[in-house]
Amino acid sequence: MQDDELYALHQQELRRGTVVLACLLILSRANYGYALLDKLDRSGFGVDANTLYPLLRRLEKQGLLISDWNTEESRPRKFYRTSDAGLALANSLSDDWDNLHAAFRRLKGES
Amino acid sequence: MTTATTTTATLTDRYVDATLRRLPARQRPDIEKELRASIADAVQDRVEAGTDPAAAEHAVLADLGDPARLAAGYADRPMHLIGPGLYLDYVRLLAALLVIVVPAVAGVVGFARVLQGGTAGSAIGEALGTGVNTGVHIAFWTTLLFAILERTTSLRPMPARPWTPDALPQPPSRRARQGTVVAAFVGVALLTTFVLLSPFVSTETDANGDPISILSPWLARNGVGYVFVGLAVAGFGLTVAKNYLRWNPAIAVTSVLLAIGVSSLLIWLAANDRLLNPAFVSAAGWTAEVAQWINIGMIVAAVLAIVQNVVEAAVGFRARSWETPEWNSMIHTIADGLTIRSPRR
Repeated sequence: MQDDELYALHQQELRRGTVVLACLLILSRANYGYALLDKLDRSGFGVDANTLYPLLRRLEKQGLLISDWNTEESRPRKFYRTSDAGLALANSLSDDWDNLHAAFRRLKGES
Repeated sequence: MTTATTTTATLTDRYVDATLRRLPARQRPDIEKELRASIADAVQDRVEAGTDPAAAEHAVLADLGDPARLAAGYADRPMHLIGPGLYLDYVRLLAALLVIVVPAVAGVVGFARVLQGGTAGSAIGEALGTGVNTGVHIAFWTTLLFAILERTTSLRPMPARPWTPDALPQPPSRRARQGTVVAAFVGVALLTTFVLLSPFVSTETDANGDPISILSPWLARNGVGYVFVGLAVAGFGLTVAKNYLRWNPAIAVTSVLLAIGVSSLLIWLAANDRLLNPAFVSAAGWTAEVAQWINIGMIVAAVLAIVQNVVEAAVGFRARSWETPEWNSMIHTIADGLTIRSPRR
């Protein structure tokens, strides 16, 4: 029998870094907080709003994202875009992900 | 804006306020604008899907969760008092301080109380009280210090140098050996000074204004004081030998015999009340009880010294070295040595 709490804990551990990578990839085209949240959700990266919004600011502080206020529309929104450093990091992380994926496949193919 | 959104806007205001209150002032305007926009986007999304605006607002804020948690995320502030990075240092320092300082302070306070002529009961009570007090203070201030360190990255001591096997403790270095020898020398010097000066220097004086020695005059009459000094000097010589010569059975045996001899002599003197000067005890206003407790304390200390020396010697014989393992490993050695068998029916 699977312990739900334990599963949730380990699932969260496993997913933690994937949200960062997904953000860096999606934001290669500038977007704002709520739209990004929606897109992540629809793409299958479940993330809470109260995790994502602070995360965006942290990534900006680390120089991986660049932000700009768009005041052209009726509701001013803060748009984030992945910086060059962020794109480079996303590439490296993607490679890591692919390697891990391949490693898991091999692991499961052997057994 | 419709009337429906007025009440829900108040809810948003309260939520945004609750979040911003926990953030540094300079971050507030930007986060407020973004947070409000995000909430409005989410509400609009739900309303367009057919939810009642008030219910939508409520659901969105419920999804965002506790403002304190959100603010902690924005402020990048730890949600723990002391994190894993500092926890080990914290526990080690706290344990070291408690183990060293509390008994030392309690002992000094209790001893001072006895010197002031307090009863054994009041001395023990005061020592315990001060001990507890000191412990609480140490725990509080150490915890506070580490909680502050946890929150001020700039104050954090270097991202602790990576651990390497070189950091493992080494057998006593030359410097450590010198430290042991110096400490032994200071001990001998203090004991000698105490024994030699005690007839002439004292806190109490008799009717003629002459000092009353704290040590029993019997010791001086029979030269036992000098025997002690002589034994202490011999002990110092053995300490030097142990630190600079290789292990050999002669020195090991001499050293353990010397320890047993000194301790036995002390036990005999204390048991026959030949350690303290009865005149000093009465002049200082101590009760017979205090003198008795001091004698008992001496006996206990002497017995412990014998046990320690014998165990140390036994471990040394086994390892053929001067290694003096920590008590933990010593206890393990003893336990390993004893063949403990569960009784069988």
